[in-house]
Amino acid sequence: MSRLIDLDELGRFSAGARVFATGAGDSPYHLALDWARSVAGKGVELVTAGELKPETLCVAVSLAGSTTALGEHLPRGDEPERAVRALERRLGERAGAVVALNLAAENALVPLIAAAMLRLPLVDGDGSGRVFPLVEQTTYALGGMSPAPLALAGGSGELILLETEAGRVEELLRPVVLAVGGWAVVACYPMAAADLARVLVPGTVSLLIRAGTPGAPRSAAAPFGVRRLCRGLILSVEGSTGHDAEVSLPSQPSSIVLREPDGMRRLVRLEAHNEIVLALADGAVVATVPDQICMICTGDGMVVDVDEARPGLEVDIMVVKAAPVWHTERGLALGGPRAFGIAL
Amino acid sequence: MTGVRAPGWEAPVTVTELVNAGTLAGARMYGAGENPVRGVRIVDELSVLGTVAPHTAVVLIGTAASGGWAVEMAMRRAWEQAAACVIAPSAGLSESSGEVLAERLGITLIFVDEDPLLVAVRVASAASRPDAARMQLVARCATRLAEAGTSARRVLGVLNAELPGTSVAFLDRHGLLLAGRRDAAAGGRPEGEEAIGGWSAQAEVPDQEGGVLGTLVAGGSSRSPGWPSVVRTVLSLAVAPLTAWAARERLRACRDFARQASLAERLLAEAATTEADLASADGTASASATAVPEEEAGAVRMAAVALGWPVRGPLTGYQVRPASGAGDAALAQTLITAALGQVPVTVRGEGWAGWSALDPAELTVRLERCLPTMPWPCSAGVGAQVPGLEAAGESLTGAEAAAAMAGPGTVARADEMGPAELLGALPSRALRAPATVILRPLLTIDRDGTLLETLAAVLDEGGALKAAERLGVHRNTVTTRLDRIKAAGFDLDDPATRLALQLACHVMLR
Repeated sequence: MSRLIDLDELGRFSAGARVFATGAGDSPYHLALDWARSVAGKGVELVTAGELKPETLCVAVSLAGSTTALGEHLPRGDEPERAVRALERRLGERAGAVVALNLAAENALVPLIAAAMLRLPLVDGDGSGRVFPLVEQTTYALGGMSPAPLALAGGSGELILLETEAGRVEELLRPVVLAVGGWAVVACYPMAAADLARVLVPGTVSLLIRAGTPGAPRSAAAPFGVRRLCRGLILSVEGSTGHDAEVSLPSQPSSIVLREPDGMRRLVRLEAHNEIVLALADGAVVATVPDQICMICTGDGMVVDVDEARPGLEVDIMVVKAAPVWHTERGLALGGPRAFGIAL
Repeated sequence: MTGVRAPGWEAPVTVTELVNAGTLAGARMYGAGENPVRGVRIVDELSVLGTVAPHTAVVLIGTAASGGWAVEMAMRRAWEQAAACVIAPSAGLSESSGEVLAERLGITLIFVDEDPLLVAVRVASAASRPDAARMQLVARCATRLAEAGTSARRVLGVLNAELPGTSVAFLDRHGLLLAGRRDAAAGGRPEGEEAIGGWSAQAEVPDQEGGVLGTLVAGGSSRSPGWPSVVRTVLSLAVAPLTAWAARERLRACRDFARQASLAERLLAEAATTEADLASADGTASASATAVPEEEAGAVRMAAVALGWPVRGPLTGYQVRPASGAGDAALAQTLITAALGQVPVTVRGEGWAGWSALDPAELTVRLERCLPTMPWPCSAGVGAQVPGLEAAGESLTGAEAAAAMAGPGTVARADEMGPAELLGALPSRALRAPATVILRPLLTIDRDGTLLETLAAVLDEGGALKAAERLGVHRNTVTTRLDRIKAAGFDLDDPATRLALQLACHVMLR
């Protein structure tokens, strides 16, 4: 029972994709939204993985690198198409559907743009249920799928094909993304629709469309539940140490110290490494990855990025529960605290 | 060794003691630190904390100390295990959040700059031999006290520096702060009577007569069972230097009359200005321009206490007055202090004056004993007893007047003086000649003395009627005699004439 994401739904989808998304600067977000609107035409077909023929080749499409760079170094417009076509050429097979790697802000819109340009359906679901910093941190990888071969299209016409063992994709990808200008569109995780149906977190696209409907509660964007940890006033933002040096992530670890303004008045520490990895209240662990810990500004209701945290800001700390597969032993190994260098 | 130690030296050291007594000197402590330390555990990863025994000092190293998050989690788990404290390298956590968490959890957090492993060794040694750790502190205090010499201020400086977490004050016998910290003085109370959540220790410093010159008082909030006993030992070490200080001050004053006299004057001036301040500022602490600076005032009072002078409480002024001009002041001071005890001796008016804590009666007795020892004929006066030094001037004025009235070799008390004593003190012999001259016109016509007697009776009684009653004659007789007196040239309506005549009559008829 396929359906069409029209321009109206596109607006709601993009709004829903922002509810718990960090790192979503205004300018790259609007750029991605305008880009999607310009190619959406009559709309993009949304299908479930099960509706596709089992052998249909599905390709995950996502933005890699810095969204800030996207806002500064504008895309030519053909990147998603070039990336998917390159992968098709390598595989000798046409893609039958596009799926998202994750659904945080721009990352939700880029696969939709790809689907519109290639006139392919978009699969309702994603490989995360939330967002992780690494291309390899997906439920697809948990399900045994490999991100490679991976095709990358840069904003200046670059086209690169990566073919390597699964564990090295991130390591090779990162310098390449930097070299092409800080961002790129990747097409990866080529797999049959039958496999996709097994490994994806289903229904998340339609969920975000509902969550983006004006008046919908914030919790509508969290399929597996969300809880408010506490409200806190940021006291200080410090550089942090003690993270496993072997874990290589795109950003430096930092630590945000908050104090509950009322109630128990606990001392809260958010340990961040690319994203908030660990939340302590009076020294006790109250939340960790793979659940998504985010700060929502009490003033404007927007998600506060780790980089934007500054003393004096009052935030609600929310914990968005990750898909059950992330709480399995394998899921924790890939997306738990240890994967972020915190040995609990 | 055991003989010199009071009970408590074997009690386990508390966290506060570790920081205060030198084992962790220079470390920053957050939290009460009241828990006893029975052992040490070095923790390099958080999972080890689950096996830490209660009352253990947890020393964080490696991953467990690697970042703020790790230290906070370690504090939490150490708290759950009832550990005595958490010792972390100072780089591990911003101190402000550490302080907040220490306060919230009620666990003590200590930041050290040294290698935590070295710290762990020292803490382990103190935990296993608490008496040795305490003895080490006492030894260090003894060395510092020896270096401080015979200065009360320096001795108190050493005590307060070497006994951190403890306030020490030196109080005079009235409980007034001489040196050290005011908060210890406020906590001064009889030993054993514990303040809420605190303790106190005292040591008395004797004066030369075996009385109490002053008291060393220490107090703090530490709950360590061994600490007060250690502090008491250290205080007793300070008694000898303080006694030496007082003796040296006394010796200097004995040798130098001018020095002690000037000290007495400054003491009086300071007491007077303090009184004026209190009066002008309604008790608020605003220093007037004329006030003696507080630092200086303290020094003056301290010097006075060292000399054993009374500086508080009821005082009585005295004056010793030589009949024929001032003699050797230094000799007078020696003889006066020999009779009265440690009192100031200054030059005042035509004699030597000062004050004593003795009451007027006792002071009179002592002065009566003193006068015969003086090489010159002297009289002495005793002022009224006043409540304190600020009113000493009043008592000294009384003493001066009394001394002026007292006959040679006698002591007069201002509080027992009335008009009769004033009249008695008049130099009648010297006044007799001028009185005869003034009254000559009357005496010439007064063959049998009735006119002089009548004049005296009228002036004494204030009217003819009462004079007639006193003389046993008729009123008209008195009137007739008065007419004769007026005829001799005396104008009894003029008050000055009346006073001069009454004085002359008194001298002539006495």
